[in-house]
Amino acid sequence: MDEIKPGIHRRRFLKGSLALGATILINPKGLWANQSPNMAPYANLPFERGRRPLVAFRQKRPLMVMTTRPPQLETPFHIFNDDIFTPNDAFFVRWHLANIPREIDVNTFRLNIRGRVNQSLSLSLEELKTQFEQVEIAAVCQCGGNSRGFFQPRVPGGQWGNGAMGNANWKGIRLRDLLRRAGIEGDAVQVRFDGLDQPVATATPDFRKSLNLEDALLEEVLVAHSMNGEALPMLNGFPLRLVVPGWYATYWVKMLNDIEVLNQADQNFWTTHAYRLPADPCHCVQPGEALTGTVPIGKMTVRSFITNLENDRTIPGGKPCTIKGITFDQGYGIDRVLFSVDGGQQWQSAQLGKDYGDFSFRPWEAKFIPEPGSSYALQSLAINRIGESQRFSARWNPSGYLRNVIETVNVHTT
Amino acid sequence: MILFRILLFVSLGVTGLAWGLPARGDDQERVSILDLPPDPISFQAGPGSDIANSYCLICHSAEYVYMQPPHLRDQWMEIVNKMKTTFGCPIPDEQISRLVDYLISQNSIQPSPGGTPVQQEVQNEIAGEALNHPGDPQKGKTLYEQYCLNCHGAGGKGDGPIGQSLIPPAANLTLLGKKSDKAILDTIRNGRPGTAMPSWKNEPNQSDMNDLLVFLRTLSQ
Repeated sequence: MDEIKPGIHRRRFLKGSLALGATILINPKGLWANQSPNMAPYANLPFERGRRPLVAFRQKRPLMVMTTRPPQLETPFHIFNDDIFTPNDAFFVRWHLANIPREIDVNTFRLNIRGRVNQSLSLSLEELKTQFEQVEIAAVCQCGGNSRGFFQPRVPGGQWGNGAMGNANWKGIRLRDLLRRAGIEGDAVQVRFDGLDQPVATATPDFRKSLNLEDALLEEVLVAHSMNGEALPMLNGFPLRLVVPGWYATYWVKMLNDIEVLNQADQNFWTTHAYRLPADPCHCVQPGEALTGTVPIGKMTVRSFITNLENDRTIPGGKPCTIKGITFDQGYGIDRVLFSVDGGQQWQSAQLGKDYGDFSFRPWEAKFIPEPGSSYALQSLAINRIGESQRFSARWNPSGYLRNVIETVNVHTT
Repeated sequence: MILFRILLFVSLGVTGLAWGLPARGDDQERVSILDLPPDPISFQAGPGSDIANSYCLICHSAEYVYMQPPHLRDQWMEIVNKMKTTFGCPIPDEQISRLVDYLISQNSIQPSPGGTPVQQEVQNEIAGEALNHPGDPQKGKTLYEQYCLNCHGAGGKGDGPIGQSLIPPAANLTLLGKKSDKAILDTIRNGRPGTAMPSWKNEPNQSDMNDLLVFLRTLSQ
């Protein structure tokens, strides 16, 4: 169980360190920076009804507001060009239920570990920070529905552009260290996670997610208390959030306060009915085609993006142009990124940048000299270390998950 | 000793930072997220908007409707059914098709281009004229029955058909006695963050608010 898979160098990215605990009430001022949403500037995502006001919620810079209650905020895409780690105040936000705690007392907060364990635990934040090894890992957190707005035909659900993702250095405790402290019973099969957020109506299923025990015990799965060297913003799950590198964000339960070890498969709605994919290997169907079966969403697909040029931008002709971008996958690591200026007819190798770990964004860049007075369809194609690549044609499924088609940025030259 | 002090200082500093302490040192306050912004838009008034206001806004803002791509009737029907059967929206079956008609009027391929949400003004002042006329409790009762009764109940005790199934439960309006008119109207206008009480800015008509207010006062008598 402790084996590291060949070719996957996880340990490199798990930096050990111990920090002193603190027992303090913290406190930010207003969550919301007192900005009138309707006076706010806005951005337009390139699909129908893609107008998004830019509003600064508490601990956040102005982000693209998809919904206010519960809050769903998208990171403006240019931010991914600024830094390989997405700043906390720019990190996307997605809540399912509007009943988010109005305050969290750092002194009285407890993380409970219970169910099929030898001994239930109830741990304070101070205990978590002082009694367990502190580890850090760079990992991408991406909403399963990231890019849903680009599905054709369109599908219902949160209409995200490409900004429902972010990369951060997450620091905390290994989930398996907590589970082992409690002692896992022999009949355990899954672990279920619940946060402090609640529904507004009692009839609405509380948001909970589960992992199979073998996945919960992976070395890289953390209960994180900090993000990029700071406490988690409230909207990103303060004081604790589950970090499941390589897996879609639905499993990264926010305001995590309850971990329950189960001896049978979780039957709760969010696991059995929500976040499901068509069962076939492609996880896709033809629009309108009935599903023959579903499986839960799991690990992320391979993706890459151009970050330094927006679509329909005009750039100088006859001069060298550097294209910058990011790429990531589910944790095998990226083997190479190819780059095309003619919509994918011819490809050249792009240069991969610094490696921050298999679960992190990885920068890449490529250069070309565009002719004056021309148009170019710029594309990037990432291939990971087990040979999985992005798709050449977009897959379609009714919930708008797993988009990883090759993206195109059209530019024109002077 | 000096070294010890330095270490102590450094470790406190580090842990302080780790918990996100602001530099100002106001570390005795608690985290508060009550000041999430109010809903920025509300449903456009029209046939069925009262149903959308009464049921959709319990759990989410009107943006959930307007940010969707235009949906066909079947798709809106599927969404509304999912809200009822899966997410527990307390909408009665006989209201569903009226709600779907309304959603189509707001965001569908036909009629094009669909409705336009009403931008909410952040407005805490009460329009003077609302309080200047005496208010008619009978008219207020009619408004109450249309907009408030489902949650707050016929007698205002928070025991309407939906009231007790909310977290937290609907407010008991018979206890409003000492609240000022302004405080009550503010809550009606702006909603109550952290509860299912939505903002009622767009309807009912703001000039009728005094009728509603006068009726609400009768509940605690």
